[in-house]
Amino acid sequence: MIKRFLLLLMVLAWGNALLAQGSVIKGVVTDDEGSPLIGVTVMKMNTTTGTITDLSGSFSISASIGDVLQFSFIGYKTQLYTVGTATEVEINLEADITSLGEVVVIGYGTATKRELTGATAQVKGESLDAMNMPRVDQALQGRMAGVNISTNSGAPGGTANIRIRGIGTSGANDPLILVDGVIYDAAGLNALNPNDIESVTVLKDGTAGIYGVRAANGVILIETKKGAKGVKPRLEFNTFYGTQRTARKLDMLNAREYAILKNEAFAAGGQPRPFNNTNLGEGTNWQDAVFQDAPIQEYNLNMTGGSEKTSYSIGGSYFAQQGIVGGPKANFERYNARINFVTELAPKLTLTNVMLYTHERSKTLPQGSIGSVLYNTINAYPTEPIRVGDRFSYLDEVNDIINPIAQMENTFNEAFVNKLVGKEEISYKVNQHLSFTGLAGYNFALVDFKGFNPLVWYGPGKFANSARNANLDPVMVDVGGISIERGASVYEERNTFLDYNLEAFGNYDRIFNQLHRVKGMVGVSLVGNRSTGLNGIGFNIPNNDINFADISANQAPGGFLNNAGSFQNRQRLISAFARAEYDYDGRYIFSAILRRDGSSNFGPNNRIGYFPAVSGAWLISEESFFNVAAIDFLKLRASYGISGNDRIGLFRYRGLLNGSARYVFNDLIVNGAAIGNTSNPDLQWETTVQTNFGLDFTLFRAIDFTANYFIKTTKDLLFQPDVSALLGSYGPGGSPPVINAGNVMNRGLELEMGYSTRKKSGVNFRVDYNVTFLKNEVTRVPEGFEFIPGAPFSVGGNVATRFEKGFPIGYFVGLQTDGIFQTAEEIAAHSVIQSGAQPGDLRFVDQNGDGIINFGDDSDRTMIGSPIPTAIMGLNFAVDFKGFDFSANVYAALGQDIIRNYERQQPFANQLSYNIDRWTGPGTSNRVPRLTTGATRNNVFSDFYVEDGSFARLRNVQLGYTIPKALTERIGVGFFRVYVAANNLVTLTRYQGFDPDVGAANPLFAGVDNGIYPQAISIMGGVNIRF
Amino acid sequence: MKNILKTIFVLILGTMSACDNWLDIEPEYTQDAENFFNTKEDFDRAIIGVYNLMQPAYLNIWIGEIASDNSIAGGESVTDTRGLHEIDNMTHGAVNEELRWVMRVNYTGIARANYIFENQDNLDFQGKNVILAEAKMLRAYFYFNLVKYFGDMPLIVGRRLSINEIIQSQRTPKAEIYAQIESDLRAAMEVLPWTAPEAGRLTRGAAMALLGQALLYQNKFGEAATVLGNLIDNNQAGYGLFADFKTLFYVVNQNVNEDVFTIQFSGLQGGDYGCLVCLQGNAAVGFHGIRQYNGPLYADGNSYNLPTQDLYDYFDPQDIRRDATVLDIDAFIAKQPNASEITYAIGGGGHTGFYNNKYIKRLDERGLPDDDLTSPLNYRVIRYADVLLMAAEAFQRSGNDGRARTELNKVRARVDMPAIQSSGEQLYNDILRERRLELSGEGYRFWDLVRTNRAAGAIEGFVTGKHELFPIPQVEIDLAGGNWQQNPGY
Repeated sequence: MIKRFLLLLMVLAWGNALLAQGSVIKGVVTDDEGSPLIGVTVMKMNTTTGTITDLSGSFSISASIGDVLQFSFIGYKTQLYTVGTATEVEINLEADITSLGEVVVIGYGTATKRELTGATAQVKGESLDAMNMPRVDQALQGRMAGVNISTNSGAPGGTANIRIRGIGTSGANDPLILVDGVIYDAAGLNALNPNDIESVTVLKDGTAGIYGVRAANGVILIETKKGAKGVKPRLEFNTFYGTQRTARKLDMLNAREYAILKNEAFAAGGQPRPFNNTNLGEGTNWQDAVFQDAPIQEYNLNMTGGSEKTSYSIGGSYFAQQGIVGGPKANFERYNARINFVTELAPKLTLTNVMLYTHERSKTLPQGSIGSVLYNTINAYPTEPIRVGDRFSYLDEVNDIINPIAQMENTFNEAFVNKLVGKEEISYKVNQHLSFTGLAGYNFALVDFKGFNPLVWYGPGKFANSARNANLDPVMVDVGGISIERGASVYEERNTFLDYNLEAFGNYDRIFNQLHRVKGMVGVSLVGNRSTGLNGIGFNIPNNDINFADISANQAPGGFLNNAGSFQNRQRLISAFARAEYDYDGRYIFSAILRRDGSSNFGPNNRIGYFPAVSGAWLISEESFFNVAAIDFLKLRASYGISGNDRIGLFRYRGLLNGSARYVFNDLIVNGAAIGNTSNPDLQWETTVQTNFGLDFTLFRAIDFTANYFIKTTKDLLFQPDVSALLGSYGPGGSPPVINAGNVMNRGLELEMGYSTRKKSGVNFRVDYNVTFLKNEVTRVPEGFEFIPGAPFSVGGNVATRFEKGFPIGYFVGLQTDGIFQTAEEIAAHSVIQSGAQPGDLRFVDQNGDGIINFGDDSDRTMIGSPIPTAIMGLNFAVDFKGFDFSANVYAALGQDIIRNYERQQPFANQLSYNIDRWTGPGTSNRVPRLTTGATRNNVFSDFYVEDGSFARLRNVQLGYTIPKALTERIGVGFFRVYVAANNLVTLTRYQGFDPDVGAANPLFAGVDNGIYPQAISIMGGVNIRF
Repeated sequence: MKNILKTIFVLILGTMSACDNWLDIEPEYTQDAENFFNTKEDFDRAIIGVYNLMQPAYLNIWIGEIASDNSIAGGESVTDTRGLHEIDNMTHGAVNEELRWVMRVNYTGIARANYIFENQDNLDFQGKNVILAEAKMLRAYFYFNLVKYFGDMPLIVGRRLSINEIIQSQRTPKAEIYAQIESDLRAAMEVLPWTAPEAGRLTRGAAMALLGQALLYQNKFGEAATVLGNLIDNNQAGYGLFADFKTLFYVVNQNVNEDVFTIQFSGLQGGDYGCLVCLQGNAAVGFHGIRQYNGPLYADGNSYNLPTQDLYDYFDPQDIRRDATVLDIDAFIAKQPNASEITYAIGGGGHTGFYNNKYIKRLDERGLPDDDLTSPLNYRVIRYADVLLMAAEAFQRSGNDGRARTELNKVRARVDMPAIQSSGEQLYNDILRERRLELSGEGYRFWDLVRTNRAAGAIEGFVTGKHELFPIPQVEIDLAGGNWQQNPGY
């Protein structure tokens, strides 16, 4: 490949200048479909004579009989042709289905897969948009080894977490995302239509260090679709429409079971039985009322093409998805418009323009937390009807759990995002060795939100009530001696976010003596970020009516209740970087990177950081001694690099008077001043040191194999650990200083295999599989304390997750159970004292062996689970035959655990049906404890509440048919495909909850299921048309 | 070639270093902590920040009652605020969130006060002495809390500690802390006005009452009698006993002449359960509310801090303070005309049938915008009845039974209870008895039992020599370098 590349370069340089000798051979080079190939290098072997094919795929070269012509083109197998007597030839190049020749973006430059020295993964856009996923991160799940995607919410517009090579910090774990070189934040990925994506490349190892202080979590480079020069305009229309429904409903008690179990529980608690009649039938199925079928649809129109000097790709799309909970109340709509064009302004001077506009609208319901719609749905009891007369029922027997249908009815909000992302890039190609590029990128978003809180009454004593009574009379409040009605309110906010970058870099690439290839790149970059926000709340909206829900319509007397706020943030990064590469004879490749970053997030003491990386590869298969027929390609790689993470919030190095200082004088709140964040002037970036060993090989020109082993250590974790109370950091609005303490190590093995074949019979077959084994361990915590607490269990319960030395980040800590006490004698005879234990109670394990279960401290609590999978894998399969195509994508995450945290511990809350198998007497159960409303330790956090969260999911399965060209061309259509597809059709798991894919942005809250909004099963039909 | 690249890179680096000032951006619309106290207004604003730290008073109301024989922890379940349940059962150890917050909020108050002292010489202006006096009294209040809970604690005055100094900190003997409290309060007394320029400001009376209390807790009865007697005799603020005990704890009767030292709350600012210390409302009130209650007068709450039968029975049925202090919910409901329609629920954390009727959420006293956490009901740290009872005790202990009876009987007369004629030890017992009758539900019972050495006889599980003090949270010992000795028995 390298040799071919060398030749290509030489051809570009001298090809046209060479004089013809002998007779002239003319011909056309085409691909397997018969389309002309432009830019194919045609070389006369063992000479420097050559040319390239023109816009019609034609070439002419002077050659003599017996000369061997070599035709090479990236992405196609090189072909040799021995010149005979014919002067007109037709060459048909076969696509190279191994991917070694693919060009990969690596940050301020490109490389072919063959040349890569770092651990890099790439997915092509086609395979992502075929998934019909609304977000690119969802489509990436299971596609690349070492890239773990977990879902925060299956709701329309819900976000996912991208974690590259494990979790390196308890802070910000999002990778750096660049779309065409423009900074994008992970949450903003909603704005990107997967259809517009050409490729997604992930830099996983130390070579990501070219992005320095922002590269520690890995770098994702997304390229959007561009046109090609000299190609006729091609119009493309893609659409699908589908319906979604919940993959699962929980197995809850019906009314009869509920009444029986509650009677038992109350009797056990010494209270009167609540139900005289337990023959209550099914009762209300709240889940049936809450879940609904909801539509999903997308329409895409794209045009690509190019003239001799300009290429373009223009597109527009509309996407809409409603929620399986809430329908239009959980809605996401996206409008995209896109113009990319590349044009030659003058010889050697190229302008690249990228512009993406997005308009999003979304509505959300309370989700994923205590008090969310699904949490209420699970805990609402089946003996209550949904409606009583003309009002919603109150669920009087349970505290703070409200009627979920009423809750959905009364939720009103909408967010609007207008986003413009783009860049202007000018590159000047001095000669074939040297080029300079300058670019200005921007990512501007205007985010508006409006939420209406009407006066509502969910029943007596409900926390969520905003009215005083069922007549919806407003609460009266006393403001400075005046009594004022507090009516319906509206909250509005308008925030703007601007990320901008200015970069300039030069690239040098030259081969000396046909053996020594030297590449160099140096550049500088300024990156800035500016965000501002203004928000307000207005009270007493007329008539309690959404139609008047605007701050301007507020009727609050004197504006007393209304409130306003604002924020403004700035952040800057200034960088210089360089990369030098040396390649000896296509066999030995060395690369070195150095980046200098200055970040405004740190004080003058520690503002500047240097981030080096080195990497190398040995292409064993290029060695003359290598002679294994089956192995076409064999490469060993190693890399070592240091990168950083500066995402710690702004100005944390200094103490600011942004604490809360409020007190009440004369019955009114007065504002004072207090220190907020305690300062730490010595604060510095987190440092990630990563070592990677890799192996790539190709068997029989068909099977690609890549293996990577990595050790990734994050040091000086940016941390906000508890500090001594003496420091005075714990007032309102105060927080401890951010310090550098704590280490985390991620070690892992990634394997990727791909096989594809094109059979003469017309069957094309492709399968790839990737698997990642990962071990995450906290290796140091800050001095003076044992752990950092994470998520709580239940209401007001103990902290159930921790960041602690020797354990994975966010591991679950609680009591370990050992069956159930069957009899009083057993309790008496038991060697461990468990205070309050009665027959039917969980038997806890005495971890410290002191003969007593210590509920009051941590001595008997131990690791009872981890939210981090030990292995994740993806299997992607596609086959097509005679116009039919079939594909399937499977994702599996194994070994992680989930905390079942959606069961409210209240006497009258409904329960999951596993309680039917509860302990009711000696020998009845050794797993599910007795039910009682009395005092019991069974609801203390223990492994009883932890479940295996492993799952395998059929992410997408698709069957399509392409109508033969001969037929479609009659109506002027070049390509016409129809398909049916399903997302998330099958999920294999033992987890009881709605969805085992339970993610959380904060790693200390991962795997805690508060009733996650599940991902839907979508059944879709679609059409792809090209003109 | 390499050399050229190197040269270019060095050149770029040079240019970059020159450009690094592009990174010098300032946070906008906020002030830097190290560049403050430049105007009188800066001092005015800083002192509000110190007052702020009195608002987590819910911890004192809860722990002072729940630790005693007056009430149980209550709540949704026995794991709901576990720390309180452990204190209730006298099984508390060095891992206790509530005790940790006690330590955190009081030291934050101290740090905020010391922040002012650190900068007190920056500027002179009219009224600076009042701000410094307020800061001293507030600091004394915070230290008094700490010394009551934990005994010896590090004494930090004059400036804030830096993070590197923490590990050298040592526990200061209790006596030295009390000496600082006394000197701060005596200094504050000299400066603070008798009447507050605005409701909620600290006054000379408040400083004197707190000093009297601090002296009493040290058994300095003579000095306490002098200070408290002086407050009663030289009563320039017009303190008195509010006539109607039954409605004394209603919002409408706030900032009356019985209020000597009060923590002010507002119902105007919302909050969330995640940060109770951040509230501008009285968190205890909503938590004390009746679980899922639906009926007249009261509003629903979280059934915390439930009075015991023992407390209820302690009262003479004729004493109007019984029903004003303890709400017998079933009896209350039975008296209502629509009794059968009134419902409430029993929490899994325990049920006694009684609720704290002083600090409780009432229907028309709810705050905006969420009434569980934003109660406007002020907390009375020391009210005049307490001043009289403390004075009675101090006089009795220092040998003046006559004066003791006089002050005691003022308190009894207000609620139409017959005068006490006893003397000597019997009078002492009567005074302590009166304290429980008058002040229950207000967060003082546990401390009264401890300081009079009567806790072991009254509190089940109380171990003499151990439970007089709470354990210092283990994590705080560790964070301070691990060289503080834990309190005995823990």
